[in-house]
Amino acid sequence: MRRDLDAKEHTLREGTPDDAVCGVVPAHVACPAGTGALASLMTAAHRNGLSVTARGGGTGLAWGAPPRSLDLLVDTSALSWIDHDAGDLVVEAGAGTPLAELGRVLAAAGQRLSYDPVRLGGTVGGALATGASGPRRLLAGALRDLVIGMSVVRADGAVARSGGRVVKNVAGYDLAKLHTGGYGTLGVITAAAFRLHPLPAAVRVVSAEMPSDSRAKRALAALRGTAVVPSAVELDRPAEGPGRLVVVLEGTPEGLVSRVGETSRALGGETEVAEELPGDWGVLPAEGCLIRVLAPPAELPDLASGLGRLARDGFGASVRGTASVPAGCLYLAFPPGTSAGAVAAVLERARAGTGRSAVLLRAEPHVLAAGVDLWGEVPGLSLMRAVKDSLDPGHRLSPGRFAGGI
Amino acid sequence: MTDRPTDPEPGPERPFGDLLDDCVHCGFCLPTCPTNVLWGQEMDSPRGRIHLMAQMHEEDVLTETAVGHFDNCLGCLACVSSCPSGVAYDALIEHTRHRVETEHRRPLGERALRATVFSLFPYRSRLRALRGPLRAYQASGASSLVRRSGLLERISPALAAMERVAPRLSAPPPPLPELVPAVGERRARVGLLVGCVQGAFFPEVNTATARVLALEGCEVVVPRSQGCCGALSGHSGRIAEAADLAKRMIEVFETRRVERIVVNSAGCGSGMKHFDRTLAEAGAGRAWTNRARALSAKVVDLTEYLVDLGPRAARHPVPLRVAYHDACHLSHGQGVTRQPRELLRRIPGLELAELPDREVCCGSAGVYNLFRPEAAEELGESKARGAASTGARLLVSGNPGCSLQIASAMERAGSPVAVTHTAQLLDASLRGLGPDPLLGRGGGSGARRL
Amino acid sequence: MATTARRTPDDLVRTPAALAALVPRLRRICGEDGVLTDLSQRRTYESDGLTRHRSTPGVVAMPTTTAQVRDVISLCAEHGVPYVPRGAGTGLSAGALPHAEGVLLVTSRMRRILEIDPENECAVVEPGVANLDITRAAEPYGYHYAPDPSSQQVCSVGGNVAENSGGAHCLKYGFTAGHVRGLEIVTPSGEVVELGGKAPGAHGYDLLGAFVGSEGTLGVATRVTVSLTRSPQRTVTLLSAFTSLDAGGEAVGAIIAAGVLPSAVEMMDALAVEAAEAAVACDYPAGAEAVLVVELDGPAAEVDAQVRRVTELCAASGSFGTRTASGAEERALIWKGRKSAFAAVGRISPAYIVQDGVVPRTALAEMLGRIASLSAESGIRVANVFHAGDGNLHPLVLFDDAEPGAAERAEEVSGAILDLCIEHGGSITGEHGVGVDKACKMPRMYDDTSLETFDLFRRAFDPEGIANPDKLLPTPRLCGERPEVRTGVHPLVASGDAEQF
Repeated sequence: MRRDLDAKEHTLREGTPDDAVCGVVPAHVACPAGTGALASLMTAAHRNGLSVTARGGGTGLAWGAPPRSLDLLVDTSALSWIDHDAGDLVVEAGAGTPLAELGRVLAAAGQRLSYDPVRLGGTVGGALATGASGPRRLLAGALRDLVIGMSVVRADGAVARSGGRVVKNVAGYDLAKLHTGGYGTLGVITAAAFRLHPLPAAVRVVSAEMPSDSRAKRALAALRGTAVVPSAVELDRPAEGPGRLVVVLEGTPEGLVSRVGETSRALGGETEVAEELPGDWGVLPAEGCLIRVLAPPAELPDLASGLGRLARDGFGASVRGTASVPAGCLYLAFPPGTSAGAVAAVLERARAGTGRSAVLLRAEPHVLAAGVDLWGEVPGLSLMRAVKDSLDPGHRLSPGRFAGGI
Repeated sequence: MTDRPTDPEPGPERPFGDLLDDCVHCGFCLPTCPTNVLWGQEMDSPRGRIHLMAQMHEEDVLTETAVGHFDNCLGCLACVSSCPSGVAYDALIEHTRHRVETEHRRPLGERALRATVFSLFPYRSRLRALRGPLRAYQASGASSLVRRSGLLERISPALAAMERVAPRLSAPPPPLPELVPAVGERRARVGLLVGCVQGAFFPEVNTATARVLALEGCEVVVPRSQGCCGALSGHSGRIAEAADLAKRMIEVFETRRVERIVVNSAGCGSGMKHFDRTLAEAGAGRAWTNRARALSAKVVDLTEYLVDLGPRAARHPVPLRVAYHDACHLSHGQGVTRQPRELLRRIPGLELAELPDREVCCGSAGVYNLFRPEAAEELGESKARGAASTGARLLVSGNPGCSLQIASAMERAGSPVAVTHTAQLLDASLRGLGPDPLLGRGGGSGARRL
Repeated sequence: MATTARRTPDDLVRTPAALAALVPRLRRICGEDGVLTDLSQRRTYESDGLTRHRSTPGVVAMPTTTAQVRDVISLCAEHGVPYVPRGAGTGLSAGALPHAEGVLLVTSRMRRILEIDPENECAVVEPGVANLDITRAAEPYGYHYAPDPSSQQVCSVGGNVAENSGGAHCLKYGFTAGHVRGLEIVTPSGEVVELGGKAPGAHGYDLLGAFVGSEGTLGVATRVTVSLTRSPQRTVTLLSAFTSLDAGGEAVGAIIAAGVLPSAVEMMDALAVEAAEAAVACDYPAGAEAVLVVELDGPAAEVDAQVRRVTELCAASGSFGTRTASGAEERALIWKGRKSAFAAVGRISPAYIVQDGVVPRTALAEMLGRIASLSAESGIRVANVFHAGDGNLHPLVLFDDAEPGAAERAEEVSGAILDLCIEHGGSITGEHGVGVDKACKMPRMYDDTSLETFDLFRRAFDPEGIANPDKLLPTPRLCGERPEVRTGVHPLVASGDAEQF
């Protein structure tokens, strides 16, 4: 098998504990030099019936469930290239391209990918595979909405493309959507094309303390009634102390004057106005258990504080919640070492109620060991299984990492 | 899309098949078509009916099913307004109805109903004669005998509604003189159409119209010999009957040397503006179509005419919230939507409200409510809900049928509203009567004070 | 319109026996008035907005509830009968072309707006609701539904979901996919599945995202939860006239380069303007070779600054006049010309083909030059209407269907334009969809593996191939032997390398 995988276009080595995916050490690690090399590697893996997981920057390897089997870890770091059509506000990049580098190249042309990463040090492919978006998604949408084309190596090593390099295109199925947040269970992403936006001339961050839930809800309702067009509305609930509502506005320095004023009035009380985003903007803690709750936006303020109380009062655990309220998304971060019971209880409560779902994005080993259900019930699971069966009939791509054991 | 600047060449010159080909099947007509709104099926939309017409035209068959769908059409012409391709649906449906009337044999009951309706409506005297018994019918709480007659039962709700909403007959206004002189310096000499339903049930609308015109400096000619314009017959495919009535009308007005012929009933105006098409459809020959075209060119809606003429008489306040309803044959049939609103806005103190779904028909549609009462009722109710939502105390339109239809639906729904004609509202303003007479307060309409 | 297709003989469009046997059961499901079997009635459904493809449906079913849709589809699945979903029938790729031996499933009677939820900034509607009616219902709360295809007063939300409809304002606000939060769908096997809901996002594979734009091949949406967008504080529409298309294109480039993100940037050439003028008297500037419609919306202060900037940029690019409109009525007049352009072309030409292709925006100028030469070479007039901001072209190829051979030549020109789009790295469809019309052109855009992957995905939802068959992907039946999409067992399974679980 080893011989079959060996080839000139990639390096192959034995896996080490540093390569572990949720604690599972791969038998081999390969770093293909390009899409062609990746395709032949995947063909060989297919021939040998190997289970495969892909890795970008390695920042999300602790996300999801552990793979049931891991014969080969594909390191995409060599698939790093950027092809920027500035005039068309479009970029295509290799899966292994670090997001930071992409950001630098785009910024030099006065443009950006309108996406706040939730992890530092990640790659394009990793961000897509885990599919988590940060706060600024109220204008251009989440990551899934920015992808206009994708190349993927299928389980059998064939390279398939969907979408293209133009923003407007409805030819064929939008398979990029499936791979975004698909944890590499349907194919290995090799490249993606994105639509871009001009960098705003100025940014203002308006924030105010929210001593109570009712206060936060009033402020949010007042904000909805304005036409200030925020890029992000974040309700931050620290483990201790009062919450904070943070509103990001982007535009021209002149235009922002009245928008900041209107936002401040909506938030009420004493507001702070900053001219740039905080350094750790949107980044989730790199350690500890992490839950994502999706719920109708209006439920989030109560939900966030209710779950915080449950952890504190029931388990003496502290949890920090950050809610992108209009986007209906709440991240809950537990300090490392939080008991499995606390995490499971919060998860269960978050899932109770209609129109809600909650996933344990990252579970610490002791939580995994306690058998906490990471994904919960996912509507449409039978269709998801059918899609998996169709695109990866051998169930060799990151088996068990995804919802329902996919 | 209410204005239609480039009417394609007049209908008769273009063969039916060509007119059909203008439809590109885009579907823009669907949401404004009342029957599509009701039933949501292709065959009851203009696009679908045009398809059925094409089947009829190309294969020379006229099925019972197709006739049913043609009959379902209210002829409101909302589709004409909403069509970006300029399809002459008005000409298409008129021709189709003509074919239906000549080629299709309807079931006995339906035939009898139609015969009754068309022996009644074009004749003012017969309509007027019917008013007495109707009132009795209402007063007696509907005698079982009358009820059982069936035929009358279908006609009666509409006529009864007219009776209910129309002013009491006890003191009808004196008939208009044949010549009403202009007040002050004469600016124009115009003819006035009296109309059959208008004349029989709403003589005060005609009186108000004549008075407004006179106050604005017009000498008004009201030929006593004028009959029905034939629009109802024409819109129902009874082309020969319509053509006879049209010829009569042409002869009456040709000799009166009037600059324009002012019409205050939307359906009549829309029919009279297409006399040429009606006569061509009836095969009347070139000479007649030319005479018809000349007459049609003179026909103008009251509101259209007043805006063109420009105001001269002083407007007095009418402090009321008023909802204006676009009569289909005015807005879609004649493209007149701006002018009535402009006239109303000029009345001091008057607050103009717009109805939701203003382009959708109220279900009155000439005699439609007699032939398709259920559909008409549903549409009327929907319009009544819309009217109630505006909070207006008075509903104004340029067509008596519409006012009746909506008013009776609102009454049924328990939110009664006063209705009036644009002419009466203008009359009240010009004469400084205030809102009371319009709302049925303070001693009835001022019509008797002419 | 653009067709010379003649009627199929009656004996070929009689409801097939197998299907006729289902009619009583369909009637039990949808009610007596919910099933159409009469030939003349069925024939009114023979095409959608693209009339050059016609086929009389075997039977028409008009369900009013999710349960009815489920039962109709289950019945189809049970008997292997194909079905085709249809909304308002305004599509332009024959995506709702009926199947002669199948059921046409019409959603036009499912048109209730179930809920407007301003707190969660969303609306829940049935699929037959017209796009614009959502905005009408949301307006009192200060919201609107952002996707606005030109046919928005007619086209149904279900159809928008199937086609991932865009519209002039998708330059800023994106397509339908970005505005759908939840779907209740009936799968081709008759299963009712909820995807997403009032939360703008869902866990697991983004099936919702992939379902939007799947052209009715993955199931029928029976309930749709859409995001509502706060109506902007200010909206200004600019109408700028140029003496050449190039100058107009230059202005568009300058606007984008300046970092302005208009909600819409639309361009029309002289011929398209002529048609619109004839249809709706939109009062566009006389003598313009190109007319640019730019809409800016957002917070008042930002919009005012942008209006000044765009006006300057247009002038610098050689505009001979820019008119701005901020009142609803004036703006509507500007848009009226643009939105009625397609159908309006009927006024200046007996027949025409609406094409829909995309090129990178920077390739627009060259593309228009190539179209002009194509037009000159063939003697076929082409009017151009396009979403200039995102390079989505809508060339209108004009011809006289009474002239022998004209339709074929127009088809050739229309096809050649698509080839040019692909050559420039663009797409064969920006918003009208593939349907039947472009299914055979898919291989020009995607290689065999990619097409096969599309098909693998499709069969995960529809293993029996009954959901809107012969649409979206090329099939031998449609396109001849090549290009072909395999419909047998998955190659991996067949080769023994993998097991089906």
